[in-house]
Amino acid sequence: MNTAHSVEHAGADTDHIHGHEEHHHEETFLTKYIFSQDHKMISKQFLITGMFWGVVGGLLSVLFRLQLGWPNETFPFLETFLGKWAEGGRISQEFYYALITMHGTILVFFVLTGGLSGTFANLLIPFQVGSRDMASPFINMLSYWFFLSAGVVMLFSFFIQTGPASGGWTAYPPLNGLRNTGVNLGSGLGFDMWALGMTLFIASSLMGALNYITTVLNLRTKGMTMMRLPLSVWALLFTAIVGVLSFPALLAGVVLLEFDRLLDTSFYLNNIIINGQLLGYKGGSPILFEHLFWFLGHPEVYIIILPAMGIVSEVLAVHSRKPIFGYKAMIISLMAILILSFIVWAHHMFVTGLNPNLGAIFTLFTLLIAIPSAIKVFNWIGTIWRGKIRLTAAALFAIGFVSMFISGGLTGIILGNSSIDIQLHDTMFVVAHFHIVMGIAAFFGMFAGVYHWFPRLYGRFMNETLGQIHFYITLIGSYCIFFPMHFMTGLPRRYYSYANFDTFNNFNNLAAFMSIVAIVVFLAQLLFLVNFFYSIFKGRKLEGEYANPWDSNTLEWTAPVERLHGNWPGDIPEVYRWPYDYSVNGKPFTPQNVPLKDGEAAH
Amino acid sequence: MIAFLSFAIVVLLFTVLVLTAKASEVATELKDGVRSYTNQSRINGYLLLGFLVLMFAGSAYAFKELMPVMIPKAASVHGEKTDYLFNMTMIIILVVAVLTQAALFYFAYRYNESRVNEAYFYAHNNTLEIVWTIIPTIVLTVLIVMGMYEWFTIFTRDRDKNMLVIEATGKQFNWMIRYSGKDGKFGERIIDTAHVTPTNELGINWNDPKSHDDFMSDKLYLVKGRPTLMKLGAQDVIHSFYLPHFRVKMDCVPGTPTEFYFTPTMTTEEMRQYLSTQPWWQTINPETGQPRWQTFKYELACAELCGKSHFGMEREVIVVTQNEYDEWLNKQTSLYDATIKPALAKDSTAVAPVAAGADSSKPGEKKPTAMLIKK
Ligand code: HEM
Ligand SMILES: [Cu+2]
Ligand SMILES: [Cu+2]
Repeated sequence: MNTAHSVEHAGADTDHIHGHEEHHHEETFLTKYIFSQDHKMISKQFLITGMFWGVVGGLLSVLFRLQLGWPNETFPFLETFLGKWAEGGRISQEFYYALITMHGTILVFFVLTGGLSGTFANLLIPFQVGSRDMASPFINMLSYWFFLSAGVVMLFSFFIQTGPASGGWTAYPPLNGLRNTGVNLGSGLGFDMWALGMTLFIASSLMGALNYITTVLNLRTKGMTMMRLPLSVWALLFTAIVGVLSFPALLAGVVLLEFDRLLDTSFYLNNIIINGQLLGYKGGSPILFEHLFWFLGHPEVYIIILPAMGIVSEVLAVHSRKPIFGYKAMIISLMAILILSFIVWAHHMFVTGLNPNLGAIFTLFTLLIAIPSAIKVFNWIGTIWRGKIRLTAAALFAIGFVSMFISGGLTGIILGNSSIDIQLHDTMFVVAHFHIVMGIAAFFGMFAGVYHWFPRLYGRFMNETLGQIHFYITLIGSYCIFFPMHFMTGLPRRYYSYANFDTFNNFNNLAAFMSIVAIVVFLAQLLFLVNFFYSIFKGRKLEGEYANPWDSNTLEWTAPVERLHGNWPGDIPEVYRWPYDYSVNGKPFTPQNVPLKDGEAAH
Repeated sequence: MIAFLSFAIVVLLFTVLVLTAKASEVATELKDGVRSYTNQSRINGYLLLGFLVLMFAGSAYAFKELMPVMIPKAASVHGEKTDYLFNMTMIIILVVAVLTQAALFYFAYRYNESRVNEAYFYAHNNTLEIVWTIIPTIVLTVLIVMGMYEWFTIFTRDRDKNMLVIEATGKQFNWMIRYSGKDGKFGERIIDTAHVTPTNELGINWNDPKSHDDFMSDKLYLVKGRPTLMKLGAQDVIHSFYLPHFRVKMDCVPGTPTEFYFTPTMTTEEMRQYLSTQPWWQTINPETGQPRWQTFKYELACAELCGKSHFGMEREVIVVTQNEYDEWLNKQTSLYDATIKPALAKDSTAVAPVAAGADSSKPGEKKPTAMLIKK
């Protein structure tokens, strides 16, 4: 990898970024805040758009939790706001399914993929590899604009007559494969908008990912070998690779689905009979779509969790004042997860009638993926062991992440065993599993990152006390919602009401409890928002021209506090050591750009 | 009004929180001009330790309160095995969870900045890495082998010649359950526009004499101890045939047949007797005024999102002895006798198109039909 040594002046090193002297080359409001090509600004754009979607997605869940918690009550104010979707103050069945569908889509893709990767890949990759910007700032900007327009399309689908997509975030045909026939099949225009939105989203994601990969591979500063990259960059690099390899499968799947819907092809349809009328579709298979979907769908969950893992590794090391334990083991386990994540997708399909031999093979690989996951957990615990941990909001969220990842990952071992999954598939046990291991954990990683790098983004601190209150409410609340959910083993998910079944109708008090907690947790997130926006303008300022508020080794803190197109006023710093020299050589920390002392061996 | 009030209260609470937080931030001490987090770390250390205790206590409480309410023990042969696997895995992961969570939160407390002078530079230990790779690998291997063994037993074991074969077809939002009648053989189904009609949604070929004693049932009757093969399908969208008490679940896919082979072990009556010994099941169900076990019933549900009434596809499942089953079987009227015969008697042309049967299906008819429906 000798490219690393020759790229110091590559990339964005064009005239307008040469230093303080001439950097006030006209930046209008439009180029600075809107059509910005600066990775730091794009990072903020992704973050704030992601936060908007977080609020929307969260609000949707509050609405359907009202139905789940109090299936027999009416809430007149719902009718005031939602009109025909909540006639008589009760969320209608159609709208309930629209709510869960859009909740899943928004949180999985728009918050935890676009929002999370977009924010931190943009912020951290150029800074931490020591580059003036992304390989292609223009494509990077496009990536954000596709992301935004994907969101606009999704948002508009809420306001059309027939409502948004309502066949589940997994979009299985034939439910979503036939346009509304007047009977109860799937969704109408809302689903087409969903498909368009996802297409734009995938384009955004691919443009982003290609940029991230290129930047990490080609624009590392002098001395920044691959083995000197912070784990956050490794994780973001692997995330991008997973995305590039898996998103196209979903795109293909969705395009074929639209062919079926709009052009009457039969990719996924065969012998469909509605009210005794045989439709003319012949020869397709709905299961094909499931394969295409989960070929993205499973890697997708790692696209969500890997950046969080990277952030947490970094935050834990910095705040423990210790090197990350087992740096190489961490990279190898990330790599193992990357590879295995491509060969486990059919664990979502154990009971689709697939060949039992396939079921067995997918059980094997699925349970194997628990090994690298376990290694990572042990290494995080090893990292804080005998550290000198500064328990700030960022560190707390990182610790919370590890806790959630343990709890949720372990139930994966139960689900991964195909014969046990016969009973558990599509039940609340799965919902508990993935909300803890993916939903909550990834949010914790994201919060850890925001509290940690807020000073880098805005030159100010977020309020610590508020951050810590936010942490405890979210930690306790999340466990209160999702831990008891495991006992609903066997209760089917995506049920509007359990009242039709004696077997499932015994958890109503618990459901009400979970709904109350969900509302509290939602409000606590507003606390975060208040803190965030308040701190942008009124937060405590970083002192000095340069600042390294957490005494961190990585390169982002060697750049001046002031936002600068091109990041560093002079030359890009050269790197001499790995990023984890904490509490060694008699110094609390030694940044990567500090040359080795005489006789000091590089790590 | 209430909405407005609660909104006002929330806003108030927020403001108070933000103001106190702001104040406390100003008050945090500065040491040599550098902000120190030592005090916060001390407090958070205790809070995390407290959380650890709370988490364990809360989990124990949840187990105590919620375990008895869960769906009762399996009523099928393979279900007992998979329940065993579930419980065994659960115990293993509980042990791992307790150990790792305890280590995580205890270390966070023990090594917080207020309790340590200096961090210990310790970057890696290959022996440790190998140990904590190998131990999970061994445990997982055991789980994989046991799980696969059970999986193959469920799906590839030899079938009993005497098995009961039942056909279930999902549609929005209902189950069509077909029994093969006294001859034990199903009449043929032909999926083409000549056979599939609003009065014959399954496309049964009435010219096939085997179809003449087939009957439909509202309830799913199963026989204790008798291996049962469910032949599954769907009309419109994917459904999933789910018998929670028997640990049976299999998707019903339009255009692609699937099946599930299992053996019930307890009649409905026996399950009630068993549950009458369980404390939670002895409590009174406020809706019926009776002890819960008395009204217990097995149920069939749909487990794959299939549209807006997905949650309503309930059918009662009744497990009886072979004798009781035979009695029930004798009382059933076949679908042919109930619908086709009377129609034939009235008007001999009524079923003629159906009788014309197989050769009237032309591939060329494909598009028009689709268009017709899609408008
Ligand atoms: C320790 C390793 C893990 C194993 C063995 C595992 C296993 C499984 C299995 C077998 C399912 C399918 C359950 C079913 O539908 O019947 C599942 C569902 C799921 N898992 Fe995991 N999992 C693991 C970790 C993770 C991680 C790290 C994430 C995300 C970051 C994740 C996210 C999900 C999601 C989102 C679903 C459900 C998707 C849906 O049906 O809507 N899992 N997991
Ligand atoms: Cu998966
Ligand atoms: Cu259904």
